[in-house]
Amino acid sequence: MFTLSGLAETLLWGVATGCIYILLATGLNIIFGVMKLVNFAHGELLVIGAFIAYTSSTVAGMNAYVSILVAIVAVALIGIAVERLTFRKVLGTEKLNEIFVSLGLIYVLQNAAVLVWGEKSKQIVSPVQSLSLPLGDISVRYDLISAVIIVAAILIFLMLFMKKTKMGLAMRATSQKSDASMLMGINIERVYIFTFALGAALAGAAGALFGILFPFNYLSGGLPTIKAFAIIILGGLGSIRGAVVGGLLYGIAEETAGFFLGGIWKDAIAFALLIAVLIVRPTGIFGEKGE
Amino acid sequence: MAMKNRLAKLYHSRKFYFVLAALVIVALLPLVIGRDYIISEVLTPIIIFAIYASSWNLLAYSGQGSLGHAAFLGIGGFVSALIARSSGFPPLAALLVGSLFSALIGFFIGLTCVRLKAWFLAMVTFGFSVIIGTLFSQFDAVTQAVQGFPTPLIAPRGLPFFYMSFAIAAVSILSIYLVMKSKMGLAFKAIRENELEAKMIGINTAKYRLLAFVLSTFFAGLAGGLYAQSIRYIQLEIFSPYHSFQPLMMSVIGGLSTIEGPIMGSAIIVLIDSYLYGVDPFLQTSLGPLFPAVSNVGPYLRYLGIGLFLIVVVIFAPRGVTSFFHRLYNFIRTRLKGTTPEPRKEPKPSLTTRMRSFIRRQFRGAKPK
Repeated sequence: MFTLSGLAETLLWGVATGCIYILLATGLNIIFGVMKLVNFAHGELLVIGAFIAYTSSTVAGMNAYVSILVAIVAVALIGIAVERLTFRKVLGTEKLNEIFVSLGLIYVLQNAAVLVWGEKSKQIVSPVQSLSLPLGDISVRYDLISAVIIVAAILIFLMLFMKKTKMGLAMRATSQKSDASMLMGINIERVYIFTFALGAALAGAAGALFGILFPFNYLSGGLPTIKAFAIIILGGLGSIRGAVVGGLLYGIAEETAGFFLGGIWKDAIAFALLIAVLIVRPTGIFGEKGE
Repeated sequence: MAMKNRLAKLYHSRKFYFVLAALVIVALLPLVIGRDYIISEVLTPIIIFAIYASSWNLLAYSGQGSLGHAAFLGIGGFVSALIARSSGFPPLAALLVGSLFSALIGFFIGLTCVRLKAWFLAMVTFGFSVIIGTLFSQFDAVTQAVQGFPTPLIAPRGLPFFYMSFAIAAVSILSIYLVMKSKMGLAFKAIRENELEAKMIGINTAKYRLLAFVLSTFFAGLAGGLYAQSIRYIQLEIFSPYHSFQPLMMSVIGGLSTIEGPIMGSAIIVLIDSYLYGVDPFLQTSLGPLFPAVSNVGPYLRYLGIGLFLIVVVIFAPRGVTSFFHRLYNFIRTRLKGTTPEPRKEPKPSLTTRMRSFIRRQFRGAKPK
């Protein structure tokens, strides 16, 4: 049934899912920009982040929003382990090897998650779960508002970090030309570890927010990963601002397509958009030549 | 003419007898084992997925890694089953029509993919598999995909179906082999190694990439038609990403860009998937208490194992499990002949290559441009 308030609510949910996609896409984008590495298992890090936040909020009795920090730290550590043990070994070999390794990681992380946390869907209980802000015909959940604020804060922090700190500078240099920055005395090894940890931390934050807004289970990571890739392609490689615009557009397009055409079209429309863009521009909207 | 020469050469080579022996062994296997479950749940799937993995491998041979091959498995399966069901078409002809239809869709999807590289291609093919799955569920009135339906059988299950799949697989894989060894295969290889250079040599890269797509999707559709029959009841599940990743895992574990790799990989994955099913109760009693969150740990542990296996193979044996067999074979041969093995002729690396590998060793992973 078409109503204006229904549409407004759809758009709001589009913004919310968009926010989570933005965090995931930004993490992937940083990893891809600096390491030229494609990590299809990024969404599994999101799921693990959500599970860790769930455990620390229900079992350890933490506030849901504090548990986001736990998820960030824990997933960053997992990220470091993953980078050291797997991707490090194939970096610089054939391009497809990274895709193969990340597919293997999907299986490993997904099944490890289900063995630890079980098959049932879960949702993180936040302190303001049932409260919402009435705005005319519609009401907005406080969780949704706080998620948007948290994502904005993380992104601003990230941009400042990339611009103002030495590590940020090293990362930007490495993403432009790794061998030249190596000759300039940048310890690429450390930059790589840090980059992967940062990308994983963003996935952890995205996971915790995802768990607060939506119910999730061990399979929830697959589609967000693919969508995050689509956002990177739409928004442009290496640009955080592009990921923000792309993520919001994508989230809204997806929810609106679901609203007008029915739920099963959600994913298909999003991919159709992506394919249409790639047919016209095979390296993405803002993509560079070469890669 | 060239094809005839190649066949004649094949006939005289050692490889020919090797393949013949392998075929005879596989043909006798179900008679030796003789258990119905093993024949229809393990051996037949291995053969069907060998076609499927080989079709993926052919595409990868031309440098195009697809993440959406399930689309073609599904199209082949649904179209052939629908035709055979509704019109009383002979099921074998329906199988062919399904594969041709899959190749037709493959042609159009290939058209959009010829300009794309590496992970852009992976993304787009994955997207197409989602879109096609959605279309099939949307036009449920025609496809009946949501409910699913029992597939009409070409041959009775068990031994007859096994031998029919076996014959089809033998012909398909032989054709894929001949394609790989032909001039077309050479073009595929050149494109895989360096597309720009291939273009400069004078290879019409778009045409050959499209050809690889059409051939690969044809065989994927064929495998889909057989798969739909082997599982008896076809559903939307056939479009799941798991089926897209399957041929990739099989090819990589077995050995990329070889003819025997996907076959070996198919055997390994299907064995872990279906045959090791029997290990589940044991896993549950021995390791179950460690993981109280799930009621049956077996399947998850097995899939975790597959993932680890894939990673280990990519890192430590990038040429797949079959490379071990090659080494073993060479070892035995040299022992029997009592001669020292001929040193393998490797092209002398140019200075830049040597420098690159030196730099890579020195800085462990800094990627040379």
